[in-house]
Amino acid sequence: MEEKVKELIEALECETVFTIPIGNGIPVKESTVVTWIIMAFFVIIAIILTNRLRTTGIGKKQAVTELIVTKLFGLVEGMVGEEGKDYVPYLVTVMLYLGVSNIIGIFGFKPPTKDLNVTLALAVMSIMLVQIAGIRAKGVKGWLKSFTQPIAIVTPFNILDLFTRPLSLCMRLFGNVLGAFVIMELIETMVTKAALPALFSLYFDLFDGLLQAYVFVFLTSLYIKEAIETE
Amino acid sequence: MNGLVAIGAGIAVLGAFGGGIGIGIATSKAVEAVARQPEADGKIMKNLILGSALAEATAIYCFVIAVMIIMMLKG
Repeated sequence: MEEKVKELIEALECETVFTIPIGNGIPVKESTVVTWIIMAFFVIIAIILTNRLRTTGIGKKQAVTELIVTKLFGLVEGMVGEEGKDYVPYLVTVMLYLGVSNIIGIFGFKPPTKDLNVTLALAVMSIMLVQIAGIRAKGVKGWLKSFTQPIAIVTPFNILDLFTRPLSLCMRLFGNVLGAFVIMELIETMVTKAALPALFSLYFDLFDGLLQAYVFVFLTSLYIKEAIETE
Repeated sequence: MNGLVAIGAGIAVLGAFGGGIGIGIATSKAVEAVARQPEADGKIMKNLILGSALAEATAIYCFVIAVMIIMMLKG
């Protein structure tokens, strides 16, 4: 029992893979390396799929590529609205990254979103994008004024929103992935390694992971939609 | 000491109760809505997922706190 608990805690921690020897040494965490793998995966797929695009007489490969891109863009555009068209590529990128990194546990990697730093960085990026979108749509004056909407008394709450929103985005994603990871590890180390984990993995890794990627993008686009709304 | 830490983590997870009830209510209303207006299926589904994600967040916070209690206080 003691050993199994130790094993579990070891699996939870994010190890340093190697250290870049600059100054005191910059530790490179496991989540970064897995992110690089995901990036390489996407870059290779993008190169393969966008190789030799043409406007007339498209091949099968290009048809599939166009289908994927249109479907994803349509899905996100439905959430963020017509005015938020500029932000669709970013949101789709985040969705693809999160989708793959949440389900990468199936292939034996540790999901990078299990590291609090990754989800925090994503949440901060999202909230900065929301504010920039607000400034772009309304101008600095209009953006500052939007903090006092709908009435002046809610200003402190609106400012508090700047911090609670990224916190909740970050914690939701982190907690979900961590929870799925802990349950999967528990089933594997404490119960059985046979068919049962595969069944649970279908729910916890695939369904929950993809759902969380969707929810993250959905909430971000909702915030953007709210920020760029002009009356 | 370890026993007390475990009890504390267990109490922290009790908050997940609220999240469960919230999602249950939301789902029951969504099912009612779909039964009444089957053509609004897509919109209801979207709102249900949003509501569930927000309700679920409270339960997730409880879980994160419980894990942190175990990780930080484990003697």
